[in-house]
Amino acid sequence: MIHFDNVTKVYANQNRPALDHVSVDVDKGEFVFLVGPSGSGKSTFLRLVLKEERPNSGAIHVAGKDLARLSNFKVPHLRRRIGCVFQDFRLLPNKNVYENVAFALEVIGKPRRFIRKVVPEVIELVGLEGKAHRMPDELSGGEQQRVAMARAFVNRPMILLADEPTGNIDPATSIGIMKVLDRINRTGTTVVMATHDAAIVDSMRKRVVELEDGKIVRDQSRGVYGQAY
Amino acid sequence: MRANFIFSEVWIGLRRNLTMTIAVVITVAVGMAMLGVGLMINAQVSLLKGYWYDRVEINVFLCSQDTAIQACGGKAATPAQIKALEAQIRGLPGVKEVYFEDQATAFKNFQESGASKTLLDVTKVEDMPQSFRIKLVDPNNYQPVMQAIQGQRGVAQVTNQKELVGKFFDMLDKISNFALAVAIILVLAAALLIGNTVRLSAFNRRRETGIMRLVGASNLYIQLPFVMEGVIAGLIGGVFAAVILIATKVMLFEELAGYFGSGGAQLGWDTVAQVITFTMIIGVVICVLASFVTLRRYLRV
Repeated sequence: MIHFDNVTKVYANQNRPALDHVSVDVDKGEFVFLVGPSGSGKSTFLRLVLKEERPNSGAIHVAGKDLARLSNFKVPHLRRRIGCVFQDFRLLPNKNVYENVAFALEVIGKPRRFIRKVVPEVIELVGLEGKAHRMPDELSGGEQQRVAMARAFVNRPMILLADEPTGNIDPATSIGIMKVLDRINRTGTTVVMATHDAAIVDSMRKRVVELEDGKIVRDQSRGVYGQAY
Repeated sequence: MRANFIFSEVWIGLRRNLTMTIAVVITVAVGMAMLGVGLMINAQVSLLKGYWYDRVEINVFLCSQDTAIQACGGKAATPAQIKALEAQIRGLPGVKEVYFEDQATAFKNFQESGASKTLLDVTKVEDMPQSFRIKLVDPNNYQPVMQAIQGQRGVAQVTNQKELVGKFFDMLDKISNFALAVAIILVLAAALLIGNTVRLSAFNRRRETGIMRLVGASNLYIQLPFVMEGVIAGLIGGVFAAVILIATKVMLFEELAGYFGSGGAQLGWDTVAQVITFTMIIGVVICVLASFVTLRRYLRV
């Protein structure tokens, strides 16, 4: 599903590569934690998957597509197959829960009947039934992140990228978020989650890829956060 | 593609940047109006040229009694001189038509010319000069004919109407060039203003566009609301420009045609419609281009 082959990314005006000859394979339906200290290259990895950045060398395949040969014109179609969740939720403050989720479908031109059918389903999936007409500022952080996950998942992507989704949320609420991610993973969606949260990684017992200074220092199925130390 | 979604975005964008939108509308309106006026003057000049150059004549004024013109020496042209002159004129190459205007006809024409009452009252038939009126085959080739007649006995003065109307046309040409130059500057200003408006819009809506990018909205879908903002502002400006142009046609060009006393050189409504269409298209094209160029810089997809 995601295939990195000897990928190096150096940002302009920086000597040290953000990713240094990284090769990794993520299969369909896998759940992968991307761990490592700040600046180790986790976010760069996710940005490369979205083709928001281009690698300096190496090949990236996502959902069967060679990103180097994917024209800019087709990048939006790639992104429709990838859902994204961030630490800061990125909801539209002037739209309610339903509208925020529906927005993702409206802007890719889905018909209204379809939107009316699937949006409530997804809102229920993330556990926000009955809160469809709340505004984002009326929700707790955990609930806002659930809205963001609903938006990321409403178009049934093949891959869900999560960049520290529990970074702004207290540990108790984080467990709920992880349950939703697990639920999404069980529908067959590949999930890649970058995180600092050792407790979550340890409790989930999923594959762990650890980055340090742009290199993969550990890749372990059913791993824990800090085992290398 | 969902039209109502695009239009609600456009409406929000225009309202948020109301002052910028007004600035764009005014600039486009004035710029396009100047462009249109320039084009209309050009059309009018070529109409007038066609009309007048068919009618311009060389006037050969003959000496009358006690004239102050030196060439005559205070004596009127004799019938023999007049006859000889007519024969000579008829013999010149390039002359199409010659007729003689006597004092009575000249007086009648003068009275109908609309000169002031006092001037009409003090002017008598004897004060009017006799003249030959010459029509040329090619009005542009007047030099040899004028030179041949100038200085002949009994000739007081030779004037060419083409030189007179030519000066007027030159002036109109200058006005039209000026209008076009101002139009170019204003069009440039409009393009920059639109660029700025679109940039502000893009900044105001960076949250929305960021999410649109993320969920895979196509470039067209993301950019269209911004381009439409520019186009709508441009169109409103174009409508104002059209109103200005119609007013110009009624208040300026129809007045102008009145001075020439003829419907033959009247700028038609079809020309005005063409000019309005042309300026509108130019306005919209500039808005679209300015929007796209700005979006490429500020809305990386």
